[in-house]
Amino acid sequence: MGLDIRIPLGLIFLIIGGLMSVYGLLTRHAADLYAKSMGINLNLSWGLLMFVFGAMMFLVGRRQKWQDDPVNPRPWEEHQAPRH
Amino acid sequence: MLDAELGNRLHSARHWSNSAHQSRGTRVNLSIIDWLIMLVYFVFVLGIGFALKRYMRTSNDFFLAGRSIPAWVCGLAFISANLGAQEVIGMGASGAKYGIVTSQFYWIGAIPAMAFVGIFMMPFYYGSKARSVPEFLRLRFDEKTRAINAFSFAIMTVLSSGISMYAMALLIQTLGLFHGIIPDQYVFHVSVILSALIVLGYIFLGGLTSAIYNEVLQFFLIVAGFAPLVWIGLRNVGGWQGIKQTLPATMTHSWRGMAHPATNTLGVEWVGLAMGLGFVLSFGYWCTDFLVIQRAMAADSEISARRVPLIAAIPKMFFPFLVILPGLIAVSVTSHATSVQPVTYSAQVPLSEQHPHGIIPVKTDPIHNQPVIDSKGLPVYNYDLAIPVMLLHFFPTGILGLGLTALLASFMSGMAGNVTAFNTVWTYDIYQSYINKRASDEHYLWMGRMATIGGVVLSVAAAYLVTNFNNIMDALQLVFSIVNAPLFATFLLGMFWKRTTGHGAFTGLVAGTLAALVHHGLTIPGDAAAGIHGGWITIVHHYSSDMAQNFYTAIFAFSVNLVVTVLVSLVTSPRPDSELVGLVYSLTPQPEEGHLEWYQKPATLAIAVLVMLIALNLVFA
Repeated sequence: MGLDIRIPLGLIFLIIGGLMSVYGLLTRHAADLYAKSMGINLNLSWGLLMFVFGAMMFLVGRRQKWQDDPVNPRPWEEHQAPRH
Repeated sequence: MLDAELGNRLHSARHWSNSAHQSRGTRVNLSIIDWLIMLVYFVFVLGIGFALKRYMRTSNDFFLAGRSIPAWVCGLAFISANLGAQEVIGMGASGAKYGIVTSQFYWIGAIPAMAFVGIFMMPFYYGSKARSVPEFLRLRFDEKTRAINAFSFAIMTVLSSGISMYAMALLIQTLGLFHGIIPDQYVFHVSVILSALIVLGYIFLGGLTSAIYNEVLQFFLIVAGFAPLVWIGLRNVGGWQGIKQTLPATMTHSWRGMAHPATNTLGVEWVGLAMGLGFVLSFGYWCTDFLVIQRAMAADSEISARRVPLIAAIPKMFFPFLVILPGLIAVSVTSHATSVQPVTYSAQVPLSEQHPHGIIPVKTDPIHNQPVIDSKGLPVYNYDLAIPVMLLHFFPTGILGLGLTALLASFMSGMAGNVTAFNTVWTYDIYQSYINKRASDEHYLWMGRMATIGGVVLSVAAAYLVTNFNNIMDALQLVFSIVNAPLFATFLLGMFWKRTTGHGAFTGLVAGTLAALVHHGLTIPGDAAAGIHGGWITIVHHYSSDMAQNFYTAIFAFSVNLVVTVLVSLVTSPRPDSELVGLVYSLTPQPEEGHLEWYQKPATLAIAVLVMLIALNLVFA
């Protein structure tokens, strides 16, 4: 298929990770918010991690040629299709 | 706030659909950031469908993803398709209920079978050019064997997709996700319709590719959503050592007490576990179920197809730490917090050790809004909420949205997996085989899209069927296990014994299914009443748990199928060898691997996977 999965995968992690990091940054002094997670600002730390992962996936996906689009000949066109 | 709470209570007393609200602590308070994260996910889900639409030129693109997907993508889809709602919620629940022994469903109950299907069976599925598992049965045996498999599979996929939908809507309702946005009595219906439309949308547009891509997204979202949950949870309870100190030893060891059913939480001894779960049920599912095999069939080459289940096995092995461990943490947390109150009940597990319940909420009666109490006057805990409760307990706003997204993603792909398997089996094995044999490829592509709509509509119907009849869930699980139990014997003989005939396979399959039914009718687990749990003919044997009964039902069904297939095959005439090339092991040239280095060969990967499995079992023995 012409769309490399790593591109949407990278993008969704970039966006969600980005949202979480920004929110985490804005709420970094809100101690009561992070009481649940034992004082750890999960939004900031985990969000950044997701952002980095997303960036990696996106860049790899952009760089690598997925497959010629469309695949020609298709695998089933090389041989005779099964008879029914 | 108090007024709202009170109003809500009164409200829920009137509407059963609002049942779980009163158990505080299982209510979500979402802020805009949580909604935003969920929205991003749904935009991507549908966006992938739209992006793939232009590649759907032939029916092969739609049903088989053009056989052009790399092995690692198929591999992740292979496990994600199986990781639906019942799986995530159910494994967390079993973790809380039975302990780490639940991971046997992921270890012995999956990994050996995945290695086997990759090494030995995939060359026949992929190499035969069959487009579905029922079609393989048609090529290997005959029309009637295909028909029985195609019809039973089509019906079961629609029903399980309906169950998935129901489970999702129920959870959304229980968590009060739409509370204040949509009137409470409509939440269930809105959830069902919304999820149906989204799944329909992306499969209608992008077919199997769309489903596979979304399953990959789901895989990474589950990891991203649950890994921090486990991490923070473990910190809270003092790590694995802390859990070990809090919980009874039977819950923290996966092989402890397996010598006898009375000394472990599952109520089954190791023979039943290894043969029933590890062999018959797991091979029956992972090696023959088109829902997962379809993902491997979409791979770009035979060698990739063989790698798919092996690649899938690696994350599969570690998934217990993401979906089962939260259940164990959930019961450990509470025991910590309430250690002042002695635990005074032991009704949940037939063990001398008392069973902690942690932060698991009490089950409430949807009609009377009262806690459910069992026959001994003890409260019944709603273990199904183990994972959702963990998310609410440990996740602050923001990452909570991510955790819920992960959960929703797993529900979506559980449905989508079934719908894509259904539309393929319907179009190729039912419509093209029995209704309209000689239509154009465009027509079958069109039919696939129509079948997608049909499958989703039937799933919605199934979801309401489950809603309206209390016991139907048990009944459906029973039907699934009875139909699936004997299947593997048919495939095993078909692929590895060239003498097996179509008549033999068909008779064996029917006999095996009947054997499962009869075995279920003659045995009963524990102190259950005769009926849906078994014993409806007469009771000749008591099993110590329904799991043990289930495992032995499978063993009986498999054995009967094996024997009957062999006997009937011996008295009927086999097909000539020339027709079976590519379908039977002894008549098929070994897959060409000469150009691969030793470390690229699927067998090497399989051995590595099995070694890791043994290591994990030793660590958690």
